[in-house]
Amino acid sequence: MNTLTALLLLLLVLMIIVGGKTGLKSYLSVVINACLVILVALLISWGVNIIGVALVFIPLKLLTIIYLGTHDYTVAKNSFLTALVVSLIVICLIVAIQFFAQTGGFGDQAGEELVGLSLAAGISFPQIAIVVAIFSTLGAIAEASVAMTAGLLELKHHDPLITKKQLEKNALQMGSDILGTAMNTILFGFFGSFLPLFIWYMRLHYSLFEVLNDKLFVGECLIIMYSFIGVLLTIPLTTIFLTRSLAHDQPKK
Amino acid sequence: MHLKNKTIASLIVLAIGIILSIWVYFSTSFSPNPIGQVQDSHIKDVLVNKTQDSYENKDEVREQTLHIKILSGKHKSKIYVVKNSYSPSQAMTQKYYPHQRLIVTFIKNKPKIMSPKRDWVVVFSIALVLSLLIYISGKHSILLTFSMILNSLIFYFVIRLDIAENGTQIFAIYGAAVVLFTIISLIIVQGLNKKMLITALATLVGVFVSFGICYLIMRLTHESGIKYEAVDYATQDPRSLFLAQTLLGVLGAVMDEATDIVSSLYALCHHRKDLTFKELFLSGRTLGQEIMGPLINVLVLIFMAEALPMTILYLRDNNTLVYTFQFALSLGVIQSLISAVGIVLTVIFATLASSVFLEKFSLKKVGQ
Repeated sequence: MNTLTALLLLLLVLMIIVGGKTGLKSYLSVVINACLVILVALLISWGVNIIGVALVFIPLKLLTIIYLGTHDYTVAKNSFLTALVVSLIVICLIVAIQFFAQTGGFGDQAGEELVGLSLAAGISFPQIAIVVAIFSTLGAIAEASVAMTAGLLELKHHDPLITKKQLEKNALQMGSDILGTAMNTILFGFFGSFLPLFIWYMRLHYSLFEVLNDKLFVGECLIIMYSFIGVLLTIPLTTIFLTRSLAHDQPKK
Repeated sequence: MHLKNKTIASLIVLAIGIILSIWVYFSTSFSPNPIGQVQDSHIKDVLVNKTQDSYENKDEVREQTLHIKILSGKHKSKIYVVKNSYSPSQAMTQKYYPHQRLIVTFIKNKPKIMSPKRDWVVVFSIALVLSLLIYISGKHSILLTFSMILNSLIFYFVIRLDIAENGTQIFAIYGAAVVLFTIISLIIVQGLNKKMLITALATLVGVFVSFGICYLIMRLTHESGIKYEAVDYATQDPRSLFLAQTLLGVLGAVMDEATDIVSSLYALCHHRKDLTFKELFLSGRTLGQEIMGPLINVLVLIFMAEALPMTILYLRDNNTLVYTFQFALSLGVIQSLISAVGIVLTVIFATLASSVFLEKFSLKKVGQ
C-alpha cells in the first residue's frame, strides 16, 4: 500500500472514533478542501480568470471548512459570517500590500526545480501570489472564528442565564488564549513549511538586508502577517456578533 | 480608561512603525549594494515579441526603458539608462513601476537591477500587526510578542545547530526543539501553573505519539509514493528535512488545540463548580469535534497553498494531473495528513489530561 493511502485511511478511522458523525463530516471537509485547492490550480492553468476563480472559491472554501467541519448549526452560521467579513477586510489589505511587495513568481533559489519547465506561461504570477496569500489566511481565520464561537456557545449552553457582561468577560479571557495559540499555529506551521529555505539562507550566509529583500522570504513573511491580522480581527468581531445575538435571544426565553 | 490606554498605545506603535518604514524606505546605508530610483513618471514599455512555447502558452516579451538615479555607493547621483525585459506573467522576471526604489549591482560599471526594495513593506506589515495586537489584547500582547521573538530566536539557533551537524541528528535536534518551543510558549503566555503543565503534557504526548504512529506507517509502507526529491530548496538530505518540517508544522496546531480544549474546560469548570467527570469529558469531546476540522484545514491550506504556483506551472506545461500531484503537491498533502493525525489524537489526550486536573480542582473547591 502507498503511504498516502495508508495515512488517509488511518486519519479516517481516527476521526470516526474520536468525532463520530461529526468526525466523518470533518474528514470530508478536509478532503474536499484539498480537492478545491487542486481544482483551483486546474482552473487557473486552463486560463480561467484568476480573480474570478478566487471570488468564487473563497466563500466556497469557508463554507466547506466551517459548515462541514462543525456539527452545531449556530456555531457554523456565526463563524461563517464573521470569517467572511474578516476575509474581505484582509483581502483588501493583501491586494494593496502585494502591489508594493511584488513577491509574485518564483525566487532565484528555485532554479533547479524549474529546469524543463517553460516560464513564459502566459498567466499572471502576481495574481497567483495574491490567491496563495488569501488561501493561506482563510484557514487561520476560519479556525479562530470557530474556536471562539464554539467556546462562547459552550459556556452559554452550560449556563443559559449567563449575562452579557459575564459573557464578554469570559470572551476576553478566551480571546486572549485563542489568540496566543492561533498565532503559534501559524508561526510553527510556517517554520515547518519554510525550514528548507531558512537553512538555505544560513548555509549561503545571506545578510539580514538580503533576506529582508528576498522575494521568497518577503512573500512568506507577509503571508504570516496577513494570517495574524486575520486572526486578530476575528477575535473582537466574533465577540461583538455573538454577544449581541445571544443577548437578543434572552428576552424570548 | 483601560480601553483608552490600549488605543493610545496601539496608535503610538502604529505611528512609530510608519515612521520606521518610511525611514527604511529612504535609507541606503544598510545595503551592501547601491540603491537606485526610477526617475521616469511614465516608463517607456515596448513589446519586443510575442512568444508561444511548445505547450501553446502565449506570452509576451516586453522591454522597459528605465532612467535610474543611483542614490548610494561610488556611482552616487549619476543617472543611468537601464533596459529591463520582462514578460507580463512575471514568473521570474519583474515589471517595475515609476519612482520605485531598486537594489542595483554594477557589473563592469554597468548597472544591473537585482530586485525591488522590499524591506520597508516587511517593516510596515510587522508594525501593523503589532499595533492591532496591542489594540485587541492589551497588556497580553507584550507576552505574545516576546514569545514569538523568543521562538524565532530558538528557531535560528536550531538551524545553526542543524547546519553544524550537517543534517544528521534531525530527530534529536528537532525533537528537543519541539519540547523547548512548547514549554517556552506555554510558560510565557499562561505562566507556570497547573493549567499550563496539563496543556504542555497534552501537547507533547500528542505530537510525539502521532508522529511515532505516522513514522511507523511510513516505514511499514516502505515510504512508497513519497517523492523526497521534490522537497524545495533542499541543501541537505531531503528525507530528514521533510521529517523535521512535519514535526515543526504539527507542533503549533497541536499546541493550539490542547490550549483551546484545556482552557475552555478550565473556564467551564470555574463557572459551574458541580461539573461531573462525564459531563466534562463530553464537553471536551464536543469542543474537540468542533475544533479539529477547521484546525486541520489551517494546515492543509498552509501546506497546499504554498505549492500552488508550482502546481499551476506544471499543469500549464501539459503535465498530467497525476504527475503534477506527485511532484508538486504530494509532500504537502502527506505533511497535512500527519498533522491531522496529531490533531485528532490530541482531542483525546487534552480532554483526558484536563479531566483529571479539573476533577481535583472542583473537589478541592467543594471541600472548602
